[in-house]
Amino acid sequence: MKQAQTHEPSSALAMPHWKAYFIALASVIITTGLAFMLHRVLPLASLSLLFLTGILIVSARLGLRAGLAASILSFLAYNFFFTTPLHTFAVHDDGDVATLLFFLIMATISGNLAARMHREMRQRQDSLHRISKMFEFGRRMSSAAQTGQVLTALVDELAEELNSPVAVLVPGDDGQWREAARTSSAAVPLESVQEAWDRASDEPLALDGRLFLKLGAGPVAMVVVDRAPGQQEAQDLARSFCDQAAIALDRTLLASDLDEARVATEREQLRTALLSSLSHDLRTPLASVIGSTSSVLECGAAISEDDRNELLRNTLEEARRLDRYIQNLLDMTRIGQGGLSLERNWVELHDIVSGATARLDLVPGQFPLTVDIPRDFPLLWVHGALLEQALVNLLDNATRYSPRDGHIGITARQQGDQAIIEVTDQGPGIPPGEREKVFDMFYTASDSGDSLGTGLGLAICRGMVAAHAGSVAAGEGPGGKGTRMRITLPLAQHSGPVPER
Amino acid sequence: MNPTRVLIVEDESRIRKFLRISLEAHDYIVQESRLGAEGLELCAARQPDLLILDLGLPDMDGIQVLKRLREWSDLPVIVLSVRAAEAEKVAALDLGANDYMTKPFGVSELLARIRVLLRDRGPDSTSPQVLESDGLKMNLLTREVTRDGQRVHLARKEYDLLHLLLAHPGRVLTHRHILTEIWGPDRNEETHYLRVLVRQLRIKLGDDPTAPRYIQTAQGVGYRLAPGTD
Repeated sequence: MKQAQTHEPSSALAMPHWKAYFIALASVIITTGLAFMLHRVLPLASLSLLFLTGILIVSARLGLRAGLAASILSFLAYNFFFTTPLHTFAVHDDGDVATLLFFLIMATISGNLAARMHREMRQRQDSLHRISKMFEFGRRMSSAAQTGQVLTALVDELAEELNSPVAVLVPGDDGQWREAARTSSAAVPLESVQEAWDRASDEPLALDGRLFLKLGAGPVAMVVVDRAPGQQEAQDLARSFCDQAAIALDRTLLASDLDEARVATEREQLRTALLSSLSHDLRTPLASVIGSTSSVLECGAAISEDDRNELLRNTLEEARRLDRYIQNLLDMTRIGQGGLSLERNWVELHDIVSGATARLDLVPGQFPLTVDIPRDFPLLWVHGALLEQALVNLLDNATRYSPRDGHIGITARQQGDQAIIEVTDQGPGIPPGEREKVFDMFYTASDSGDSLGTGLGLAICRGMVAAHAGSVAAGEGPGGKGTRMRITLPLAQHSGPVPER
Repeated sequence: MNPTRVLIVEDESRIRKFLRISLEAHDYIVQESRLGAEGLELCAARQPDLLILDLGLPDMDGIQVLKRLREWSDLPVIVLSVRAAEAEKVAALDLGANDYMTKPFGVSELLARIRVLLRDRGPDSTSPQVLESDGLKMNLLTREVTRDGQRVHLARKEYDLLHLLLAHPGRVLTHRHILTEIWGPDRNEETHYLRVLVRQLRIKLGDDPTAPRYIQTAQGVGYRLAPGTD
């Protein structure tokens, strides 16, 4: 974690005062020592320059106060040890007074220079730091894809720069404020927010020790800084971050509006298709049911027992068909909402096949249906009912488009860590251009005269297989005729063999 | 022999209607109730031989009715449930229901299951020495298993599984029940073991898994031995 930048008074450097004075004293002592060693060799004037050097060094490194201290101490030492009368603090010579004066002036000038240099270096560092932060923030803003990301980045940045918990609040339609983003320790002052909102202009507003900033064109939200920073500079900084965030927000809010519009349109289209499908596909089997049963009632003994039984069988078949259609509708709504919750278990593919064929009243061996699945085909880790439904839909299609004696095949094989399950028929086949479209919802083959299908079966099949991370595709049947529907499913591993007791 | 009395507890009147008509056509005596509480009273008062219980009753949860009933009666119960409520069926079976039907259903299957349940409770309910169904024969004393006269050699657990199924031909047994009986309570979630075992048993019995003659899978619920003609 970075520490916050503090802006100290210009004369102090990064050192406590007593330490600076101590060093000043020490340097004067060193200089005095040096002077003693050299004073037989050098004239007095040079000695004073020696002291001056010491003063300059102290002043440049430690600042004005230490420099002044050094110059006074240097003068005292120089006076005491080296000027006449020796070992006294009395000053006789005018030149000595001048020396002291010059000592002081030098110390002051160099001390000031040093201090200014330090200050400007620090300011430059701060500027650079701030610029790079802005740049970094700008990058985060332009790459943020969602409103949430923008707001989170904003509160994090502000919290770091201002050293305070930060929160963003949005006004609801009901006049209530709720938080959209916050740092973990931020307290959310719901009461004062409304007041600040009403009072604040475009500039940040300080209220009750907190800083409030309006965010975005609109404005759309309120940024609340728990501990308002004192300096104008910090407030300006907060404001720039908010302005940058506002630009990013424009973009993300627009994007999410577009998304919502798109979803709404799709939902509307689906609803329309659903209503027209319902109307047709619910009524068709019902027409048979109502027609057949009313015939039985109406004609009574006038129709033969065989005819009566046939009518009743029709009624039963159509009613079962209706049941399958309703199941498809239910499944479709679950898929549509992304609400297919998989309850996976270990499932034998053979069981799925026998369940599916039973539901369609297909008996392998009677109807020209052959099943070719190895006895030791791996167990599937799937939601059995959904996979069975997918297979039912494929078989339903196959039987519907198959000619009278047309052969239907169900095969399965393992390929690496995938299971490949295929349903083939000898019907008219699907032209290459339509092989993807058939999986669209409510798609029915346009050349099928009495549109037997509801158009949902394949879409649901795909949805259910996709929920298992698998895929289903249509292709050419064996020998180039008919259709081959291929389901690909990833296989899961079970750990360990079956234990004996 | 006394005619068999069946109690139907189901709130949908038209369903009760076709059930009554079909059951009476097969010489059962039918009583009806729309509500769970009333159904329980009728069970106590009239002592039916079999109960058909809808799980979606308006006044009480069908599971609750079953729980209460099982506190004082082991009357055979078939529950009626809708499709995709697998968990509900399994719960009912584990709480003591003997079998289930999924709505919408055809009446012939229901009649078959009723026959199976009533046969199980027949007067000859002492433990038999030989279990058989549709060509399968298991001699519990000699542990010999034959299929259409041919001897079949089964491993220990395969034998246990077949025994369990043959003891209740036509009735569904939940995965949990079977796993507990064969592997013990610690392993009763391990469907994988069961699937593998069923596979092995089917091979030994020469059962085509896509159109099984003997071992039928009730997807998501359990297994049952095909009722067979008797």
